[in-house]
Amino acid sequence: MIEAALPGAAVEVFDETGGGDHLRAVVVAPQFEGLARLDQHRLVKAAVKERFEDGAIHALSVKTQVPG
Amino acid sequence: MADVELKQKVEELIAANPVLLFMKGTPEMPRCGFSMRVVQVLDAMDVEYGAVDVLPALQPLREVTAEISDWQTFPQLYVNGELLGGADIVEEMFDSGELAEALGVQQPEAAAAPVAPPVQSPPLQIE
Repeated sequence: MIEAALPGAAVEVFDETGGGDHLRAVVVAPQFEGLARLDQHRLVKAAVKERFEDGAIHALSVKTQVPG
Repeated sequence: MADVELKQKVEELIAANPVLLFMKGTPEMPRCGFSMRVVQVLDAMDVEYGAVDVLPALQPLREVTAEISDWQTFPQLYVNGELLGGADIVEEMFDSGELAEALGVQQPEAAAAPVAPPVQSPPLQIE
């Protein structure tokens, strides 16, 4: 989902609890270039919004990076 | 559309408290691991801060903060009227020293970042 919203992004997702609903994502995306960290996180959260709304994810930790 | 009165109240709180944390639970008894992590960071910085427990009005407050700062999840840390971020961003800023700068305090000695406990579950063997 994140890759679809941010073409060219490298996304790694870790299952923090083994339950599949508490996730940690490391997202490296060219779209982050020049954005404040807050805005980088907003992009990631917007990409996975649906999964929060349908209850598939309860918690998502995010770390964003610009490819370098 | 967020509740107008609640939104006004939240804006007043943000304006009145130079460091304000919206969290699940209280600093003494956080009800969410992410909120607890931000409390630990703020305690390590040794700053005074206001804390608002969002649990009694979770959904209305989500709507309010979505309008105020385009952010709907809690915790949220505001410094001098600006949203800094949630737990992930606050911890990153703590580690980099940006948080101390934003708060106008010294980075604590030994950069004793509250280390998040390892949450990796052990692999389960089902034979």
